[in-house]
Amino acid sequence: MSSPSRKHRRTARTGLALVPLVALAACGSGGGSDASAEAGSGKGTISVWAHQGQKNETSALQNAVKSFNSSQNKVKVDLKLIPDTDYTKTITATDASELPDVMEFDGPTMANFVYNKKLAPIDTYVSAKTLGNATDASKAQGEIDGKHYGLGMYDSGLGIYGNKKLLDAAGVKYPTSLSDDWTAAQFTAALKALKAKDSDGKPLDLQETAGYANEWGTYGFAPIVWSAGGSLLKDGKAEGALDTPAVVSALKTFQSWKTYVDPNTDGNAFAKGRVALSWVGHWMYPAYSKALGDDLVVLPLPDFGNGPKTGQGSWAWGIGADTKNAKAAGTFLDTLLDDTNVTAMTTANGAVPATKTALAKSSLYKQGGPLQLFADQLAKPCGDSDITKSCVAVTRPVTAGYPTVTAKFGEALNSIYGGADPKSALEKATRAIDQDYSDNAGYKIP
Amino acid sequence: MSAPAVVGLIAFVGVPFGYAVVLSFYNVRLGSPLAPSFFGLEQYRRLFTDPDLSGPFLRALLNNLTFAVVVVPVQTALALGLAILLNRKLKAIGLFRSLFFMPVVFPMALVAVIWRLILARSDQGMLNSALHAVSFGNWGAFDWLGDSATAMASIIVLSIWQGVGFQMVILLAGLQQIPGELYEAAELDRASRWQQFRHVTLPGIRGTLVFVVMLTSVLSFRVFDQVYVLVRGGGLDEDATRTVMYQAVTTAFDQNNIGQASAITVVFFLIVVVLTLIQRRVVRPENED
Repeated sequence: MSSPSRKHRRTARTGLALVPLVALAACGSGGGSDASAEAGSGKGTISVWAHQGQKNETSALQNAVKSFNSSQNKVKVDLKLIPDTDYTKTITATDASELPDVMEFDGPTMANFVYNKKLAPIDTYVSAKTLGNATDASKAQGEIDGKHYGLGMYDSGLGIYGNKKLLDAAGVKYPTSLSDDWTAAQFTAALKALKAKDSDGKPLDLQETAGYANEWGTYGFAPIVWSAGGSLLKDGKAEGALDTPAVVSALKTFQSWKTYVDPNTDGNAFAKGRVALSWVGHWMYPAYSKALGDDLVVLPLPDFGNGPKTGQGSWAWGIGADTKNAKAAGTFLDTLLDDTNVTAMTTANGAVPATKTALAKSSLYKQGGPLQLFADQLAKPCGDSDITKSCVAVTRPVTAGYPTVTAKFGEALNSIYGGADPKSALEKATRAIDQDYSDNAGYKIP
Repeated sequence: MSAPAVVGLIAFVGVPFGYAVVLSFYNVRLGSPLAPSFFGLEQYRRLFTDPDLSGPFLRALLNNLTFAVVVVPVQTALALGLAILLNRKLKAIGLFRSLFFMPVVFPMALVAVIWRLILARSDQGMLNSALHAVSFGNWGAFDWLGDSATAMASIIVLSIWQGVGFQMVILLAGLQQIPGELYEAAELDRASRWQQFRHVTLPGIRGTLVFVVMLTSVLSFRVFDQVYVLVRGGGLDEDATRTVMYQAVTTAFDQNNIGQASAITVVFFLIVVVLTLIQRRVVRPENED
């Protein structure tokens, strides 16, 4: 009886003893040898990963790939679509050697992928024309230490869509451009006036069904922080940036709006005329303009003291760090970022074109176009740290610690919206972010 | 003889658990170029003494416990009731059984999305509009998921609805093992329906019942999907419904903090093992020993 059980114990002990070795070996491989892209022959098949979002967007991308494949026979593109809710997690969890030659990524996650050695600089592989044609805002999002790791086909912007008929009926005066933007107090007053005329007393849509403890929370509502003179991160620290009294009071105002918010369970609150105002990005324009026609107005987000601000940045394209065929990857990117494809894509999803020539030709965003406001906002880029009173479009922090920053800010925002004390929620997020940065030696990109 | 079982145990429980223990002593980030640094007990210290981290963690433990304490008895009793109801010789009984079993077949993610519509906070939420109609317009819009008093209750209700069919099927199998002669004998002795249930049915399925209680407890500690889906969907009170699994997964994959997440799972594993051992002491099948 005793001998087999002793044997088993020995087996178990050997098994456990092996664990640490396996563990450390597995961890080591993540940041192991310096992988770098190889130029390759510029011919052959390259693999491409992209996020699967709206249907229009996906088919525009598939068309671009199809016409690229049939236009020449040197490079063939093998496109793989991954649902957007899991997209970033998929790249994070995939080893650099398993990643494709070309991949799409959401703007603010880029620094983390550079830090993890999953992306290579694209400067030498795309043509000078492609780089030169990218808008300043798009280039700012893709740049780290003077090298470009990503370029987007389109950029993004936030605004408030208004229903002119409902606004006029309630006698609400609304801004017509960035210069006469409403203050937070005026916005609250407008909500009050609209509530009086609204059948269910809920005239505002804040895209609540998308959830706030996620990237939408950060993208959609960090402009409140910036507009209050705060920041998500300043010199690698959240303390003194995210927890200032001005930010606390701004988020208190945000919290007070909840009583005006239609939960918008069916996603049609604005299009059906149930709400007069919808706080969301450019991407709702196609649906909203179809539903409202000439009654649709586009307004900037309210000013909390430091001027109106908007989020900026969107999906971008880069080259996998371990690719053996970077030249072919660059050829594909040159085509993807040309006017034909950028225009087709931005027509499909209503986004702001991220190249100068396509932007100038865009019927939506040119001077006098219905979405000129978004172009105006992006023409005053702040970058991610130089947030002054006069600039408008702020890039989310370009830092490898962004996943923690957005997770903690989103959590705080979600609990503030749910009724938590803004001061303690923000202080908690601040401490968590700073702790994480000190655990990771400031996330310095090696 | 037990070698295959031991190998399986080591491969599927021992190694991952040992791995988690080791990782919990390191500062390990998913895909970080920094080498993992030895952290000692720091992750555990933070979990229990750092107010920012221990607050949510202890709250998550409490939420898990509340969930288990409510779900295990209620779901088991409900499953037993349904099983007895469906243990008859009726026409088309197979159809009834399938209908009651159906929610189990739906993935929890799908169930959560549907319940989001039911529990939505506006007067368009299905539950709110039903109550509105029933109360002749006296019921206003109530925020079932956003209110901390009802958020957990909502999760519990939808979990029971989804899971009860599974337990029901197991209990049904147990009920069908009871020989019919026992009931005939009891009837000859003029035992009432209730007496039959107490002295024939319950002893007959005791082993099955113990198994179901164990299984439900373990499953109820794993609660994750419904919270995850409903929080992402917006409007769910995160603090009132955060469970340990939810916290572990978001720590590991949203914040890339593998060390911290491992510490959470190690503590949770130990707690669940202890609770299961206590439970085994209290309710053990008769034929054991």
